[in-house]
This record gives sequence, structure tokens and C-alpha cells, in this order.
Amino acid sequence: MITCTALRWGAPGQPLTPPIDFTLEKGSLTGVIGPNGCGKSSLLKVIAGLQKPLAGKVVVDVSRRGGLAFLPQQQQLDRQFPINLQELVAAGFWGARLSAAQRSERLQAVLEDWCLSGLELRPLMALSGGQLQRALLARMSLADSPVLLLDEPHAALDEEGQALCWNHIHAWHAEGRTVVVVCHDLASVRHHTQQVLQIKSNGCVFGSSKELIRAQPQMQVA
Amino acid sequence: MHFAAHLWMPFLDFVFMRRALIGGLVLACSTAPLGVFLILRRMSLIGDAVAHGILPGAALGFWFAGLSLPALTIGGLGAGLSMAGLSAWITRRTGLREDASLAAIYPISLAAGVLILGIAGKRLDLLHLLFGSALAVDETTLTGMLWVSSFSLLAMALIYKPLLLDTLDPLFLQTVSRLGPLAHGLFLTLVVLNLVIGFQAIGALMVVGLMMLPAIASRFWSRRLPVLIAISAVLGCLSVWLGLLLSFYYSLPSGPAIVLVAGGGYLLSVVFGPVHGLLRRPPLLTSQ
Repeated sequence: MITCTALRWGAPGQPLTPPIDFTLEKGSLTGVIGPNGCGKSSLLKVIAGLQKPLAGKVVVDVSRRGGLAFLPQQQQLDRQFPINLQELVAAGFWGARLSAAQRSERLQAVLEDWCLSGLELRPLMALSGGQLQRALLARMSLADSPVLLLDEPHAALDEEGQALCWNHIHAWHAEGRTVVVVCHDLASVRHHTQQVLQIKSNGCVFGSSKELIRAQPQMQVA
Repeated sequence: MHFAAHLWMPFLDFVFMRRALIGGLVLACSTAPLGVFLILRRMSLIGDAVAHGILPGAALGFWFAGLSLPALTIGGLGAGLSMAGLSAWITRRTGLREDASLAAIYPISLAAGVLILGIAGKRLDLLHLLFGSALAVDETTLTGMLWVSSFSLLAMALIYKPLLLDTLDPLFLQTVSRLGPLAHGLFLTLVVLNLVIGFQAIGALMVVGLMMLPAIASRFWSRRLPVLIAISAVLGCLSVWLGLLLSFYYSLPSGPAIVLVAGGGYLLSVVFGPVHGLLRRPPLLTSQ
């Protein structure tokens, strides 16, 4: 469960919204929507404990280390970094107590899940944006965290990749994990999630995705 | 005499050459991973800043205690760490770009060092501090170098994984572990420690060359991090060995000879290196 109380966040002295309160139940699947610059990514970072809130507090009932998995936007990665896809994905084993054989088996399974088999030895520089995105998602799958925070997981993915990503999100949801997805594709959010947190500069609205997104069709061009 | 014998003879015959060689080789090995990670962290210039930063500390150490290894080391370490720390702190607090903040720190350090040496009465040659003399490595300095190198190789092996993740994807590491800042801090300390122990052997500015040149050159030979580190160590060792030979046979100053050999290795890598070298066709981004 993620509980935010009188939460304000943003750059020091410049909160992005009035204080907001919301609770994301354990095992829920929530979409976060709003225009560019409204603070969606920062909100995920604040929940993940990577950025301090300006006021209020965030309570997450899992361990801050390992209990939360956060998928950042991929432009933050240095593509020239001299490692290959397999090494990037295997970082998801951090802290796991598995034998070498178990690791290798698990890794192969995850790579296959994300349609990355055969690309194991490719350097990061030689991966397409979509392949890198799937690699980051695969790394996240290895971690088995009960809370998953995804910042635009569908960016750079083609239609097939997006479907694959939503399938995994539903699978994680079905396993009882709490999933929060920042996404600009309102039609998908409406279709795939039950509840939505809509961030606006004059406050935030939390409610059913069907109602919130249908109520404001002009948002679909944002 | 057989040609091959010329490559070994000076080291077999002269103790000072042997000490210089062993000291240089261990330094090349321990600075190799540091240089490679500095480049990956886009901190290639910090070596220069710290090397200049060491100067006022070493000069103060010399002023108070004379030419003693512990005094120079403690002074250099204190000054180097505070310069690196001050620049990092200014960057974090004011948002000044890292390179600008480093560029501001090192003329200050250099001027302060020269000033202190001037006040101290020029008993310690500035040229010696900046460019060193590998041929003057004594028993104590060599022991110090062996300790520092072993410690820093061991420490790098221990923090390799967190440091790698902290460099590539610090947000990810932060969500799974608290080791990021620790690895970062220890890494910077090792950089300063190696520069301090190295400056007494080949000079403050020259040791930066030995740390950075092989590391930058290695980037033209591989795309795999462990291989980069190994290549960088090998290039560093070759530079030390060839540089010392050149300095022996042609009576050249040893520090610059070593660094210029490393520089030659860098230029050759730029031209002939298989990874994006000038003679290679532009890389196919999708090739394996």
C-alpha cells in the first residue's frame, strides 16, 4: 500500500501542485496521467524515495531497498557504457540468493519473455530504443519487487512491444503486486487500468479510469 | 650485446632502475581501473584537478616536516580530498557544472602550492613535485606504493559491482541498495590516494597521464569493461617499462618519458584501434 499525505513535490520553492492525498491499495494497478511537466516522473521518484518531497509524507509498506522497483525513462542511461544486454539485465539479480545455474536459467526465461533471446551479447550502443526498453523491463522482472513504479514503460516500444508490456503489467497485477504506470496514451490507460491519478497544476484527481478519461476527451490530444 | 638484453639489463644492473620499474608497474596496474571508471563517470578532468590540489598540501607537509614520506602523503591526501570534496560540494549546492567547478579549483590549488613553496624558501623544487623523478624512488616510497596499489586493487574488486551500477544507472542502484554513495566516496578516495603516492615517484602531473592515457586509449580496443581495464593496465605497464628504458639510454627525465610513451600508445590507438579507430570504417551500430 502506498499512502501519500498532504504531499507536495517539485523543485525547491516551486511545488508542482497543491498538497494532495491519495492511497494506492496493495495489489492495485494505477495509471498516472497529466500534461508534460506536471510532475509525473518526479512523483514516481518521490514515492520510490529517490527524491525528497517538499512537504507531506509518503508511506510505503514495503522495504525501501528491493521492495520497490522503479523503471526510469531510458534517456538517463549512457548508451556508450561498455557492457552488453545480458549484463544489464542480470543487474536485476541484486541481492537475490540464487545459484549460478538458477540465475542462468531465470535469466534465459526472462530474456525470452521479453523477446530478447539472441541479443544477449550485444553492446548497449548497438541496441535499438525498443530493445533497450525491453531490457530494462526484463531487469525489473528479475527483481520480484512487490511494488512496481513504471515511468513511461511504453516509450520507444512498437505496437507488439506495447502489447507485450501491457501483458506483463497485467501479469504482475494478477500476482498481487502494486503497479503504478505513467503513460501518455490515454486510450491505453483507460483500457488497461481501473484507476487513474490525474495530475493538474490546480490539484489532482483520483478515480476510475473509465470515468476520468471519458469525462475529458480533449485530454487525449495532450 | 644482444638487443633483447638491452631491454632487461638496466633493471638487473641498477637497484634504482629496478625500484622505479616495480613502483611504476604496480602504479600502472592500480590506476588502470580508476582511469577507466573516471572516464565512464565523465570525470576525466578530476585527475588533473586533484593532482594540482595535492600540491599545496604536499608543500605544507614539506614545510613542516621536510622531505618525509608520511608528511607529504598526509598533506597531499588532505589537500587532494578537500579539493575534490570542495568542488563536488559547490557543484551539488549551486548547480555549477562539474567541469567548471574543477577548472576553478585547480588554478587556486596550483597558485596556493607555488605560494607556499615560495614562502618555504624554495628548498623543495617545484619541478620535482610536478614532474617527479622515477629514478629517485627509495625503499620507503616503494613500500608505500606497493601498499597503496594492493589496497586500491582489492578495494576496487570489492566495490566493482556497486560502482558499475552507480555509474551506469544510479537511480536503479538507489532502489536496490545503499552502497552507491559509499562506493562513490571510496572510489574518489582511491583516486586521490593513488595520485598522492604516484606524485612522489613520477610527479603530480605525470601520474595523471599514467592514469588517464592508457584508460582513454583502451576505449579504442574493446567494448567490454573488464577487457578495457586489462588493456589499460597492460598499456600502462608497457609505457612504464619503455619510458624507463628511454630515460636510461637517452638520459631523459623519467616521468615525461613514461607519459610520452603512454601518449604515443594513445595516438596509435586512435589511429589503429578496432573500436571507432580512424582506420576503421564507421561502426555498424547493429553489428555484434
